[in-house]
Amino acid sequence: MMILSDVISQTIIFAVPLLLVALGGMFSERSGIINIALEGIMIVGALFGCLALQLFNGADQLCTIAPQMAVLIAILISALSGAVFALLLAFASINLKADQTIGGTALNMLAPAFAIVLTWSIQGQGQTTILIPTWTRITEDALGLKSTGGFFGNLIFKSFYITTPIAFLILILAIIVLYKTKFGLRLRSCGEHPQAADSVGINVYRMRYAGVFISGVLGGIGGLAYTIAAGSGFQSGVAGYGFLALAVMIFGNWNPIRILGAALFFALFKIIGSYSYSIPFLPKFTGIKNADYIYLMLPYIVTMIVLALTSKKSRAPKAEGIPYDKGAR
Amino acid sequence: MKKLLSLVLALATILCVLVSCTKKNNQAASDTYELALVTDVGNIDDKSFNQGAWEGVTAYAKDNGITYAYYRPSEDSTAARVETIGTAIDKGAKVVVCPGYLFEEAIYQAQNTYPNVQFLLLDGEPHTADYSVYKTASNVYCILYKEEQAGYLAGYGAVMDGYKKLGFLGGMAVPAVVRYGYGFVQGADAAAKELGNSKDVSIKYWYSGSFAPTDDIKTKMAGWYTEGTEVVFSCGGGVYLSATAAAEAAGKKVIGVDVDQASQSKTIITSAMKGLTQSVKIALGELYKNSGKWPKGGTTAVLGAAEDCVGLPTAKDSWRFKTFTVDQYTKVFDSMKKGTLKISNATDTAPKVSVKVDYQG
Repeated sequence: MMILSDVISQTIIFAVPLLLVALGGMFSERSGIINIALEGIMIVGALFGCLALQLFNGADQLCTIAPQMAVLIAILISALSGAVFALLLAFASINLKADQTIGGTALNMLAPAFAIVLTWSIQGQGQTTILIPTWTRITEDALGLKSTGGFFGNLIFKSFYITTPIAFLILILAIIVLYKTKFGLRLRSCGEHPQAADSVGINVYRMRYAGVFISGVLGGIGGLAYTIAAGSGFQSGVAGYGFLALAVMIFGNWNPIRILGAALFFALFKIIGSYSYSIPFLPKFTGIKNADYIYLMLPYIVTMIVLALTSKKSRAPKAEGIPYDKGAR
Repeated sequence: MKKLLSLVLALATILCVLVSCTKKNNQAASDTYELALVTDVGNIDDKSFNQGAWEGVTAYAKDNGITYAYYRPSEDSTAARVETIGTAIDKGAKVVVCPGYLFEEAIYQAQNTYPNVQFLLLDGEPHTADYSVYKTASNVYCILYKEEQAGYLAGYGAVMDGYKKLGFLGGMAVPAVVRYGYGFVQGADAAAKELGNSKDVSIKYWYSGSFAPTDDIKTKMAGWYTEGTEVVFSCGGGVYLSATAAAEAAGKKVIGVDVDQASQSKTIITSAMKGLTQSVKIALGELYKNSGKWPKGGTTAVLGAAEDCVGLPTAKDSWRFKTFTVDQYTKVFDSMKKGTLKISNATDTAPKVSVKVDYQG
């Protein structure tokens, strides 16, 4: 039973960054901009978020008075830095009408290099790891509860970070914004048929800037959420989660609820991979060397199969990837 | 509005480029560095192998007013390591310190290319890629460690302290890591025999295959801790970050490796140390006394308890055992030092023990 609660809580903690970043990618693509740069945005967001956490870390710092407040501020900082970084993509692909895939790839290459330079200049040469302070986790003590350690204690508190409820709120917000507001309708129309949108007086450039900006905000938060969840410190990378999030977004068919499902699905298979030895009923493949890699490959294999089966129904925004040119009709 | 925004963004781009340029210039602004360290794949802040050696280099260089620098290969390959050694020598290195068995082939090539440069190879002996020819030239001095002794002491201490469910998390299964691991198993077994609870003691044993922390390793360790594992011997560069992250969440313990890692996390109860810093300092001292040539060039030193080059940290802040005392530790350590207690250093087959070892992966 303890293993079950472990698997559930770990699944949620790793689904959170995937969900956030995939939602970010969705906003960008729904406005018509392919955002390959999610990985880079995550790295930049995580970088500045972790630097902020370091800033608040210390005996007389904010972390002793209100640790979760410090985490919240770090989240805001990573959102902001992610957004600024994403604006580089927006500028290149909207104003300069550059190829969006190449622009995004360039940003992905820029981000880790930039992170190393900045980490070194702050922490000293060779100090590549920014450690995550332990007070970022919400414990039972912090809430004034007694440590129970049972199934539910383990389920909720073993890896509970403020990013989890925030991600849930953002998901609800994303659904409302995308489907229930004027802004959402306009954003979607820019991704489907920007010429038509323009003909009724919608500023396509502004909507696309907004889409990329939102994806930067969510990508930045997702980067910090991932780094906190992984718990091993920030090392100028997010282990390909930005690209995984892209797959989650496509798998989720650019739809928030389905993206939630896809993120949970991915995270679950990932955790099963890591827990393959601890889950009693899974076959162990004892005859094969390094059999645990079979389980580690699972999320990717299953995604390929599912994508192959569902790709007929996949509905990408029609105008994504095409720079909007006012003159072309 | 649009123009303003584009202006700001353009400026930001230029600024980014400028910042990265100036940073690079600072690094490149160099004269010559006499004493060089080339890292294997990790970095000098790995709180482990590279860092231990680097601290030895800096300590000796600072005490004696010698210029020093470190270089990191661009990728994990022998070609990249040879190239980086060349870079170090181009920048004036007369002595090159190479921590790690990964340098064995690179040094085999470099010892002939640069006969006037002195190499210190830690944890390995130069050989060809197919292991057919072993040759250590007179400008190379090799140091190996008896990791099995350090691992033994850690395993012995943990079981004597009352831990019953242990774990071993290795990095890559390279000889040094395997010796640590098998030593750990033997030490735990010996203590269990002494306490008469061999049936209750069990060890989970796994190599992560990398020296870098990942979320997969952390998740795996979280699983071990949930299954009841009380303490994990994390053995390999940066992977301890994953182990301590999992231990902190679960309220369990970790044993550190190579250097005293007690300050890294409250969960670290002890560290299986090898005297990297110490032996680098001593070797460099001998070198400079002997007018810049290795006094025992072309040979390999195997350092262990007898030379005080392995052990557990006994400082009060680092000794976090509850019942296992420093006196008990000294007793075992001394018998190891005298040679009455021998530990197998075989790496090809797992040691035969009476405790249950679950080899995973």
